[in-house]
Amino acid sequence: MSAYIARRLVSAFLVLAAVITLVFLLMTQIGDPAAATLGNQATPEAVQEFNERYGLDRDVDAQFLGYLGLMRCQRPNSPVYDDDEAKNGYCGLLQGDFGESFLHNDPVAEVILRRLPRTLLLGAFALLFELVIGLGFGVFAALRRNRWQDTSIMSTAYLGQSLPSYVTGPIFLSYAAFLFGLFPVGGYGSTPLEHVQHAVLPAFTLAILGASTYARVTRSEMLDALQSDYVRTAKAKGLAPRHVLGHALRNALLPVVTLAGLSLRLLVGGAIITEQIYGWPGMGKLAVESIVNVDAPTVMGVVFFVALAVQLGNLLADLAVAALDPRVRLAG
Amino acid sequence: MSSDAPVSTGHPETSAEAAQEARRAARGRRDAIGCVVPVLGFIAVALLVMALAPERPDGPRYAGAGDATPRDGGTFVFHHESNVRSLDPQVAYDELSTMAIRLLFDGLLDYDHDGGLVPSLAVAVPEPQEGGTVFRFRLRRGVRFHALPGLPDGRELTARDVKFTMERLLRKQTGSPGAGFYEAIEGAVAFREGDAAAISGVRVLDRYTVEFRLKEPDQSFLYVMAMPFAYPVAPETFARFGSEADRHPGGTGPFVLEGWERGVQLTFQRNESYWKERVGPDRMVFLENIQRHLAGLRFMNGQIDALHRQTLDHRGLFTESEAWAETRLSFPRASIWGVVMNYEMPPFDNVHVRRAVAYAIDREGWARSRGNLILPTGQPLPPAITGYDPELEHRQSFDLERAREEMALAGYADGYPEVIEYWGSDGDVSRIYAELLQQDLARIGIEIRIRLVSFAVFLEQTGKPKTAALLMSGWNIDYPDPSSFLEPLFHSKNHRPANSSNRAHYQNAELDELLDRARRETNRQRRAAMYREASDFLARDAAWAFTYLPLTLEVWQPYVMNYRPHPIWAQDYRDVWLDLPKRRIAASLFGRGSAVPAALFPLARLGGRR
Amino acid sequence: MDPRAWTRFRKNKGAFLGLALVAIATLTAVVGPQVAPHDPNEQFRETLVDSRGLPMAPLEVPGHLLGADSIGRDELSRLLHGGAVTMLVAFLATALAVSLGTLVGILSGFFRGPVDAAFMRLVDLLLSLPFLLLAIAIKRVVADPGLEVLVLILALLSWTTLARVVRAKTLQVRELEYVLAARALGMSHGRILIRHVLPNVAGPIIVLGTTLVAQLILFESALSFLGLGVEPPNASWGSMLREGSELIDSAPRLLLYPAAFIVMTVFGFNLLGEGLRDAFDPKE
Repeated sequence: MSAYIARRLVSAFLVLAAVITLVFLLMTQIGDPAAATLGNQATPEAVQEFNERYGLDRDVDAQFLGYLGLMRCQRPNSPVYDDDEAKNGYCGLLQGDFGESFLHNDPVAEVILRRLPRTLLLGAFALLFELVIGLGFGVFAALRRNRWQDTSIMSTAYLGQSLPSYVTGPIFLSYAAFLFGLFPVGGYGSTPLEHVQHAVLPAFTLAILGASTYARVTRSEMLDALQSDYVRTAKAKGLAPRHVLGHALRNALLPVVTLAGLSLRLLVGGAIITEQIYGWPGMGKLAVESIVNVDAPTVMGVVFFVALAVQLGNLLADLAVAALDPRVRLAG
Repeated sequence: MSSDAPVSTGHPETSAEAAQEARRAARGRRDAIGCVVPVLGFIAVALLVMALAPERPDGPRYAGAGDATPRDGGTFVFHHESNVRSLDPQVAYDELSTMAIRLLFDGLLDYDHDGGLVPSLAVAVPEPQEGGTVFRFRLRRGVRFHALPGLPDGRELTARDVKFTMERLLRKQTGSPGAGFYEAIEGAVAFREGDAAAISGVRVLDRYTVEFRLKEPDQSFLYVMAMPFAYPVAPETFARFGSEADRHPGGTGPFVLEGWERGVQLTFQRNESYWKERVGPDRMVFLENIQRHLAGLRFMNGQIDALHRQTLDHRGLFTESEAWAETRLSFPRASIWGVVMNYEMPPFDNVHVRRAVAYAIDREGWARSRGNLILPTGQPLPPAITGYDPELEHRQSFDLERAREEMALAGYADGYPEVIEYWGSDGDVSRIYAELLQQDLARIGIEIRIRLVSFAVFLEQTGKPKTAALLMSGWNIDYPDPSSFLEPLFHSKNHRPANSSNRAHYQNAELDELLDRARRETNRQRRAAMYREASDFLARDAAWAFTYLPLTLEVWQPYVMNYRPHPIWAQDYRDVWLDLPKRRIAASLFGRGSAVPAALFPLARLGGRR
Repeated sequence: MDPRAWTRFRKNKGAFLGLALVAIATLTAVVGPQVAPHDPNEQFRETLVDSRGLPMAPLEVPGHLLGADSIGRDELSRLLHGGAVTMLVAFLATALAVSLGTLVGILSGFFRGPVDAAFMRLVDLLLSLPFLLLAIAIKRVVADPGLEVLVLILALLSWTTLARVVRAKTLQVRELEYVLAARALGMSHGRILIRHVLPNVAGPIIVLGTTLVAQLILFESALSFLGLGVEPPNASWGSMLREGSELIDSAPRLLLYPAAFIVMTVFGFNLLGEGLRDAFDPKE
């Protein structure tokens, strides 16, 4: 078990390293940070100053080493801060410093930590909706197998999978929130209670797709489980239907857990389109804004967190499956 | 059918299969029902929603009487689809940052609503002395900086601060994009190049008097002194915060920065020790990066107090609605938009091709397609700026025949053989204009390929010589003088190896000389004539295909009082105050006309109270 | 492949509905551009836009069955041409993704060991990258971003699921007795892969490929919605969706038409995919 986890951690580390390298290279390709940050009227001096301050006047490999923290850099408050000639604006990843955002003029870690809770709130709500709606309807459909309830639910699920959030989002916003006045019209609110209230509609928009998927998966897994030998045995032994159902459900949940683990990516990375439509200031919106403004340190930070979430989500899902199902051996 | 019945006869397999077939047939029927039910259900729900949906409100929630006595209090909320870049007056050079800076800082001078100069921190607009080369500014007494760490109790503004501000502005390390505006000051260039320790033309005469001496008479100097670049700042904040001073703006303005989450919102608090008697809201909240559609809905819902840019859709609604008539205004911004053709790149190095483009653009058609969001024009200066002439001799206009003649003169009677790449920034508006242009140019045999890139890339690429042949660009006014348009856009000194503001990379010695002469000319009439001549020259030489001025529509809630859209400053809400009783009535009317009782949905009752 | 699959498929009404929807969409894409009444990119500024800048409604102007889009182009023609673009992109990208996914999946499943590890880490890597950034970067780096770049981006980002499934299936197949026998008899790897492994994984590939078309239609429209899709002035259903959302309150039809086509097509492909799954892999 611990060997398995160790191996998984090593491979997660390798993937993270590759992601960071790749994104770093990509960010050098998508535009000039100085022009993007300082605007169209920046003087050559201002551009030069900017590039020197953030160490962008150096070779890409030197910048990258600096970013990783293998070379000293000049950002005050950074663990690898040094005032010698070597400079780098964003530095010290290995020391736990994500550098400083060009656009926000704040440490990237601060920027992300402000946004992350909002995205987690939205993601948690979405996941809740997905599980409640998806599991509920999935189990119900399985119990009413091949009756009209089942087929209706399943084709609704297909329809749900076919409805993109950029169609449902503006419609919900215009009708449910604005015309009917059932929900706040976009935004985030200013108190914890308001945050929750503002999260409901965007979370539901996000959840349509996931709920449809969960409903389908739950139904088919439930059907498998209900026909499995142990359920038949349990039935034959005269176990109460409630308990039989419980047994079946426990087994049907396994793939759902795996899926939920995969969706941690969404939970952390934010939902780019949904956040834009509803003006929800989370990670998705941050990602778009920082990509558009060539704010490399912020993009790197966001990507790092998302990649970490993907790896972590996969690992957690596998561990959860192992915990739920003693037959699963964790190997390679 | 009993599927559980034991199969006793025949081949077990075939019987089982037959039973299965029968089950499948039954299932098929249910499948059909199951597929149709949700689709019909969807349609039914959609129809029901459409039928029940309340009408879109065509007016403000409450437009009746309030209490029109000017008062303090309340929170004023406004928005933009983009974000503030900087709160450093010497560095910021975009409309939105200027908006925020003007809440936090004051200038020595300001522009009134007609583009004239009025005193602000100065006691009066200084009279030119010694033939227009010396200006003496007398400062108001008792003006205090915001109380900040390092600036306890808010120190009084003195002439030394003005001097410090000018030095900071001109110092190379500051990287101010506005430094070039102030080079007329004696010794400015020497100071900038590091050849002098101080600016010889800026002298502190006493605690409240500062004198500016110019190299030669310059008619734009006082206007330039009203630009945010010259807004006085407190030296202490820079000493204390260094490169982070941007986050602690120490100004003298009517509001103090309370907080700023970049990319999300800025909050301002009223400056209780402001030097002037004024009424206004206790707080201002500026929401960044709010898309137009969302902003419009929130405005109609009473959650935003002034709406700055709208979708085409909402714009139509506000323009037509009688109920919004009192609190909306549509006006041309002092700016110019046009098709920029690279002077150094074929085929636009040929004046006939440039003219052909200028004739080919169906400006009225564009205006029609865009719901009259724009005012067609054919010359480089907007109305209300000296040098504008509605009857300008060579003003450009739509004339397909002449466009084709010009193409023939250029030797492309059968069209230009190559496809030209057109650069635009991404976004719906930019895309639509690109598509409009594409159709117009196709009619004279110029085929273009639209390449939309992010705004950052757009600026970077088009500011470089010989990179982008064709693009669309605009210029907003810096100060109400023709030099504010013609020099940055067409003077060869603004053609640079990178970040050119002269994106046509236009270079013409004759025009340069004319613009330089006009800048010095003290006689108003002669000066106006010179700029008219320059304007005509540019239209005739088709330096750009001048196309339109955007018409800005501003809408505000009926309880927002004393708001007059400013021709130069966008979103200038400095003097706004709120009729709170009226707002309370509006908020209490929430849910009016809704098919669902609002009380059932506590979620909706948000944002109304402020 | 299971010869009874077709019989099972035939009995499945849902799958038939899916097939019908897919057929309609495909027909629209193939025949649409030929029967479109107008040039989809021509702006009728004089006739199809009213004085407020709003597009004419359906049938308001003779010859324009569905009215105009926001700058006076014939909506029907744009829908027909846009469908062709959307379907072409989705099909090409699916073909590419399926080929890539199958190749990688079979190779890593069959050879296992380092090949497998390398490919699976690559899959992890791709899943961890932000697709928006990748799309922007690719569009920026490529000097001449056309339709083929869009296809490439979509394919690059979508082959991973398929590769994983094919790998899992291959792992099963390679342990089957007759495959082991073939190996023992010294049959070459290439022959084993083509003769024995590929037919066995064909079922899941067809099923996943079908649903992948649906996903890629959504993906293409998402990219278009973010302004990274087809090049203007050309239409795709996704770009029309974006253009239509500008007028969502006064002309919601501009959003609903392309949305209806997208939902119909995606619904169709999903139903078809599920039908195929049932046919190849009956659980009951």
